Amino acid sequence: MDDSLNSWFAREILVHESALMRYLLRSWFRREEIHDLRQEIYVRVYEAAAKARPAMPKSFMFTTARHLMTDRLRRGRVVSIEAVGDIDALNVLIDEISPERRLGARQELKRLTDAFDRLPDRCREVVWLRRVEELSQKEVAARMGISEKTVEKQVAKGARLIAEYFHGGSHARRPAHGDAMDTAYENGHGQQQGD
Amino acid sequence: MASSREIEHTAAAWLARRDAGDCSERDRQQLDAWLDASVAHRVAFIRLDAAWRQSDRLKALGAGVPAGVVPARGSWTPSPFGNADEPADEPRHPHPTHTDADSPRRIPRQHREQRRSLLRHFAAAAALALVVSLALGWRHYAAVEQASYRTAIGDLQEVPLADGSTATLSSDSRILVTLSHGERHVDLQQGEAFFAVAKDPARPFVVSIGGRRVTAVGTRFSVRRDMADLRVVVTEGLVRLESDRLPNGLRQPTTLLPAGSVALASDAGVVVHSGSVQQAEEYLSWRSGFVSFHDTPLATAAAEFNRYNTRKIVIGDASVGAMRVGGNFRWSNTDAFVRLLAQGFPIKARQQGDSIVLTRR
Repeated sequence: MDDSLNSWFAREILVHESALMRYLLRSWFRREEIHDLRQEIYVRVYEAAAKARPAMPKSFMFTTARHLMTDRLRRGRVVSIEAVGDIDALNVLIDEISPERRLGARQELKRLTDAFDRLPDRCREVVWLRRVEELSQKEVAARMGISEKTVEKQVAKGARLIAEYFHGGSHARRPAHGDAMDTAYENGHGQQQGD
Repeated sequence: MASSREIEHTAAAWLARRDAGDCSERDRQQLDAWLDASVAHRVAFIRLDAAWRQSDRLKALGAGVPAGVVPARGSWTPSPFGNADEPADEPRHPHPTHTDADSPRRIPRQHREQRRSLLRHFAAAAALALVVSLALGWRHYAAVEQASYRTAIGDLQEVPLADGSTATLSSDSRILVTLSHGERHVDLQQGEAFFAVAKDPARPFVVSIGGRRVTAVGTRFSVRRDMADLRVVVTEGLVRLESDRLPNGLRQPTTLLPAGSVALASDAGVVVHSGSVQQAEEYLSWRSGFVSFHDTPLATAAAEFNRYNTRKIVIGDASVGAMRVGGNFRWSNTDAFVRLLAQGFPIKARQQGDSIVLTRR
């Protein structure tokens, strides 16, 4: 992997996930497609950046998002005159030195703590033992009296949910359809997704 | 091709595999092969990896906590409700009014600011805060919590409840939430709300609407009240709808509603339409700011718009009200809707005070 590209992507693009999600939720009518839209936006940005890093990453990402939505609308997947109008307005304040990037250490910790607290009980315990007490997955399994396979599964779940809550910020809170709310994973929805 | 969610799950499984430490050379090669197979795989992995690295900072919270103890949720600030209730970065969040006895009161502003400034001394206060919140937490378990929430016309609010569930309030709606040891109870006093219920088999989640109750254990559904009538839309899981005896002494049967159901209950009876979850979701598009109509009488469509707006659409004559309309519209944009009507139908729109009157042209 191109490590410098990957860390650039995390540093310059993923930090804006919260703003991106707000934009998508406001502009896109079909909530169940937002997860997929987000992935496609990231793919396009990543591919472009592999050739040349955009000078203004945040604007680049939003422009990509707008083009993608316009493309999809043209393909007739959604019939909504209003939606088109909204996308064109691109009603997002894009300042390259945005507050998201300047989150202080304290706010970052707060956001992370919020994300952590929203994990389901068992997952939360696994993450604590693994990340804070730095036990190995094997030791976590022994401590909690569960199998190593289960610990591994909980780590996978923890990473996924923390990403949703942390990158997504306050907007992961919204009950986007089948989206990564803690409840969604606890109440059987997650099972459909192969949990 | 795998869906974006499937890819995310696979990426998470790989991350956990790598985190296990006993990852073999063969595993590593397979991971690399998977990452090289598609950019979609790669971006999903980078995203989860970045978050997982971030979680390393949780160590800052471990100071002063004895080994083997996982601190309770919300023990990071001395708040009886924990952090998740009141994100400091969302000023438009509804303020719950907690009731100790019968007298509702707002959370004193000073209290919130105090909490914020405490956050500044986060690390130093952590150990003390733990003790404080354990004490509060104890009291809190024995007691019954009550909070009420309301929205103005045109507002949507998402309310995280203390049990981990979430309520999304539609325009002009009001709920009273009572959480006790044996039951989670929501009284829908007005309007409509969508619930994503955290699973807790020991504490059923009950929404009551006048003499009817909708009961769920870990599911997603919405309940809407129109005078005496009730509409329940279920998008996941199973809910039970039961009614008290009607004024005429008759009793309506208890109905089980699986995902995809849209139930309409009135004094005349309960009608259940069972369709796909996707169809049911359309009833809930208000959450993303839309209303959708399919061959809907204009009178009904207008009433729907009026739920969200103070400026009302008035149907000037019956023939206009009977016209059928379809499409997805932003409910905040009454003007656009009316303009489209005037373009596509023999309808004339005229402003009259604070309302828009539609008549035949």
